Amino acid sequence: MTDAAVAIRGLTKIFPVPLHRHSIVAVRDLNLRVEPGEVYGLLGPNGSGKSTTLKIILGLVSPSRGRTEIFGRDSRLVESREAVGFLPENPYFYKYLSGEETLRFFGRLCRLGGARLKNRTDELLELVGLTKARKRRLGTYSKGMLQRIGLAQALIHEPKLLVLDEPTAGVDPAGSRQIRDLIVDLKRHGITVLLSSHLLAQAQEICDRVGILADGVLVREGRLEELIAIENQTELVVANASSGLVDEIESLINRSNAKLIERRRSTTTLEKLFLDATTERPES
Amino acid sequence: MSNETATSARHRVFSFARVCAITANTLTELTRLKVFYVLLLFALLLIGSSIFMAQFTFQQEFQILKDVSLGAMSIFTSLLAIVATAQLIPRDIEDRTVYTILAKPVPRLEYLLGKIAGVLLLLAISTLVMSAVFLAVLYMREQSVLHMTLRQMSAAPREQIDDALRAIRSSALNIDIFPGIIIIYLKACLLATLTLFVSTFATTNIFTVVVMVFIYFIGHLQATAREYWLHEHGSGWVTRVFLAIVALLFPDLQAFNLVDDIVAGAAISLGLFLKTALLGIFYTTIYTLLAAFVFYAKEL
Repeated sequence: MTDAAVAIRGLTKIFPVPLHRHSIVAVRDLNLRVEPGEVYGLLGPNGSGKSTTLKIILGLVSPSRGRTEIFGRDSRLVESREAVGFLPENPYFYKYLSGEETLRFFGRLCRLGGARLKNRTDELLELVGLTKARKRRLGTYSKGMLQRIGLAQALIHEPKLLVLDEPTAGVDPAGSRQIRDLIVDLKRHGITVLLSSHLLAQAQEICDRVGILADGVLVREGRLEELIAIENQTELVVANASSGLVDEIESLINRSNAKLIERRRSTTTLEKLFLDATTERPES
Repeated sequence: MSNETATSARHRVFSFARVCAITANTLTELTRLKVFYVLLLFALLLIGSSIFMAQFTFQQEFQILKDVSLGAMSIFTSLLAIVATAQLIPRDIEDRTVYTILAKPVPRLEYLLGKIAGVLLLLAISTLVMSAVFLAVLYMREQSVLHMTLRQMSAAPREQIDDALRAIRSSALNIDIFPGIIIIYLKACLLATLTLFVSTFATTNIFTVVVMVFIYFIGHLQATAREYWLHEHGSGWVTRVFLAIVALLFPDLQAFNLVDDIVAGAAISLGLFLKTALLGIFYTTIYTLLAAFVFYAKEL
């Protein structure tokens, strides 16, 4: 049996409140397994324990009870982070560094150097679409650009696991779409992605499996299509159907034991409309 | 080879290259904070004071110049050490850059060593620049006094001129200035690492700076208080343990004050220099280790 990319067993995190007798239980007896190569979404409202769980996985916070492993290694060990890239929520990097300098700094932390670091820097700037802005200081970057350079630094040492905390928080729809496309592309290259989000529509688009946290407890978990499928309902989406044909289908349904719940015109999403309207506009 | 084995083969428990990367970045960060304006202030102070001192005798002038310069160097490097170090770690935590750094295979000790090495490097550069300015001003004043004396004594016998020139040279630059400067630097290193230690558990920068200002003043008064205490309470083991704890929390900063002796023209013995230097290195090491200990267990 291969090691899970992330394995969490009986994880509990309790934060004591200074000068008070009570304490806050951020995560309660959490068991979770992320398989290699999948995109796993850790969902939940603010304060549900998502970020704490990610920080424990990364060794930034120590668990009160339980154990977390990355590819079979105790995640408290520094060497387990050789396999991990991390993008925190709303990252602030050193503003005085340019995009290129930022990647070189993080590369050196992973003991990359010389031509290898240079090539990797060029490759990642290209991947996240920041080649033209490579010499600009991060202080002048937009929110979406910061998020993309954050993603690039997370990938600098070619990790097998990418941990993303709210990767599209505060990013406009176009930037958000770019990040989602990048995640899908990374999955295609065999990289495991564990992401936390409270933006459900986005998670639905990219996640293979999701876990829903509420008050530090995992209340639902499974394959996305299984979790959201409605057992006794079927959808038909038909193009170029005449109203006669649709009426005929409806009467056929009415004659059977089935029940027509809704008949409506298909619509696009507001996001797609926004993206169509704001990208590739002809110059006036 | 399995992936896991490959990973463990690549990882190094301690990497000098990682520490250097953080050191270089910290130095860049501090440089961009325009801390070098302090050096400009130092240069202006020296040039201004040397113009003012032209009215004194050369002995008085050189003495005041050394007193002002070494005193200003001590205060500026101490100030720089506290202010530059106080915000290093809290800012990284506030901006979450510490997450991205420690989520890489970087041990916390390396992160801390890289940060403090950046400050110590900045202090070394500042001390060198201030020393260069000081020595340049001192040399120029010495040359000016020598030329003036030669002009005034042109008719005097050769021996008398030589005696006068020797007196000028001996009261200007002397070799004891250099160990004095090294001790000033070590005192700044001690203060920087103590500030780092305080900042690992402090909640705000202001708290760190206020605590350090207190420690700075108490540290200068500590020796006097200790002598008084020993005089009043004898030197039993309880007293000794108590004083050792006080000495750890509030280092005897007065012990690093060799400037008065240098200015007075007294020679600093090798023994005194080595003892003071070792004390500085000891404190610097202890505070760095204490900072690492607290930071290791810190929840980020």
